Amino acid sequence: MSGAVDDAALLERFPYARIDHDNKHFYRGWLGERLLIQRCEGCADFHHPPKPICPRCWSDSLVPTQVSGRGVIHLVMLLHQGPPAEGVDYARAPHPVVTVELEEQEGLRFTSTVVDCPSQEVRIGLPVELAWIERSGAPFPVFRPRAGA
Amino acid sequence: MARNPIRDQVAIVGLGSTGFSRDADGRSSKALACEASIRAIRDAGLEAADIDGLVGAAEPGGPQPYAMSAALGLPGVTHFSNPTPVAIFALVDAMNAIFSGACETVLLYFPYLRLPWNSRSAAADPFRRGQTLGVMPAPESVNAAAAYAAWASRYIHEFGATREDFGRVALNGRANAARNPLAAMKAPLSMEGYLGARMIREPLCMLDMDVPVDGADAFVLTTTERARKITRNPVVIHAASVGLVGDNDEDQLRSLERHGQHVVVESLRAKSDLWLDDMDVFFPYDGFSIITLGWIENFGWCKPGGAGRFLQAHWDEKEGRVMINGRVPINPHGGSLSEGATRGSGHLREAVMQLRGDAGERQVADARTALIGCGGFFFNSQGAILRRL
Repeated sequence: MSGAVDDAALLERFPYARIDHDNKHFYRGWLGERLLIQRCEGCADFHHPPKPICPRCWSDSLVPTQVSGRGVIHLVMLLHQGPPAEGVDYARAPHPVVTVELEEQEGLRFTSTVVDCPSQEVRIGLPVELAWIERSGAPFPVFRPRAGA
Repeated sequence: MARNPIRDQVAIVGLGSTGFSRDADGRSSKALACEASIRAIRDAGLEAADIDGLVGAAEPGGPQPYAMSAALGLPGVTHFSNPTPVAIFALVDAMNAIFSGACETVLLYFPYLRLPWNSRSAAADPFRRGQTLGVMPAPESVNAAAAYAAWASRYIHEFGATREDFGRVALNGRANAARNPLAAMKAPLSMEGYLGARMIREPLCMLDMDVPVDGADAFVLTTTERARKITRNPVVIHAASVGLVGDNDEDQLRSLERHGQHVVVESLRAKSDLWLDDMDVFFPYDGFSIITLGWIENFGWCKPGGAGRFLQAHWDEKEGRVMINGRVPINPHGGSLSEGATRGSGHLREAVMQLRGDAGERQVADARTALIGCGGFFFNSQGAILRRL
């Protein structure tokens, strides 16, 4: 399904994203609700955000690879004001923005928000998992607290 | 000792500033840059024909070097560039151009005009409406400015830092700004006032973030040899460096233990004959308060995580500001938090004023050496050591 979306259409689906030839696979993955992190075929290292080569071994054999989306919150801030976005109401509650260290590799992180959790309970060290919401008519990856973790 | 043939070979011989305010009342970035530039050239005792290098640090909407050359009527420029902010990128470029012979005398200019995305009144200016950041990013980003709030959370998590630790950076700046006629924010600030300020990107509040202003700074640089002939008080660049690590995407930074500031400190330390005990005045950048805490720790004034206790231990209760060992002030001009968001040109200007002995009631007695740590953690870490000849 997502394979049918050409570059121009991809841009239209994510008007808030800065999409280019290095990261287009990453956003195409969102359309299929898959978090694809670039992985090197040579040294197996993941890196993010997507780069044209592997920063570790300089190979250009890179494969967008689906990750679990499980991880632990590494950085957190609560936005009391910020850019407008569908579903974000700063007046109702501060909007959490978290950087999550993914379980696939030490230091590999992805930044989004947390749902199903009061802002003031979002904290560094909290185990989370991936979830998908809809924003501006397209899937958007977020995190939620990981049950039983 | 690292190779540093440029040590003490380039001097700052002219200073000009418009001063800073929350609203320059309809003046353009170019107008502000011209005023500061003319002041700096005259301060150096020079004229347009003496300027053969032009280095700007114009933000979006600011004048490019060719536009400044046209406005100032410079007859022949053999080197020009427009490095990205913050200030020491431009200083290093000017220094290198002079030392290499690409030019002999550089005008360095730093104009600031509040932009539509960081000031409501600027957004109301029809002439500035066309300036946009392009794609409006999603809120879920820790890029650029937001990175400092995100990493401040990590700093608090790892070291148990308190809001008061951040607040002392803001209080120090405000107390110092009260004695600086160029500063935008002079109203007294108490810890209670700091703690009550509006949260913006928690854990950082409004007073942890530099204040957008209008104004300009300018500098004239030339060879130390020429400086000795045209001024009685040349201030020379003893060492200067920028610093960058590989993992510099804001959310991928390996840790607070290794980023651009560490590269700068290692480089300066290896290039310089002078170090912390020799410093008379210290300028840790304060675009965000967390950056200042970082510079204090990373230069080695204290251990990682110790900056809050350091500020408390060296706090002068009577003056309401920091005096390291009772002697060395921090950002005596008020810094970006209170003088205004000068992206470091204010720190550089005040360092030169102090070393020339021109800082008036802010003057540090017999100041000979200044240490500047400029920029943040990711893509604009830089520093310089200046001294009086």
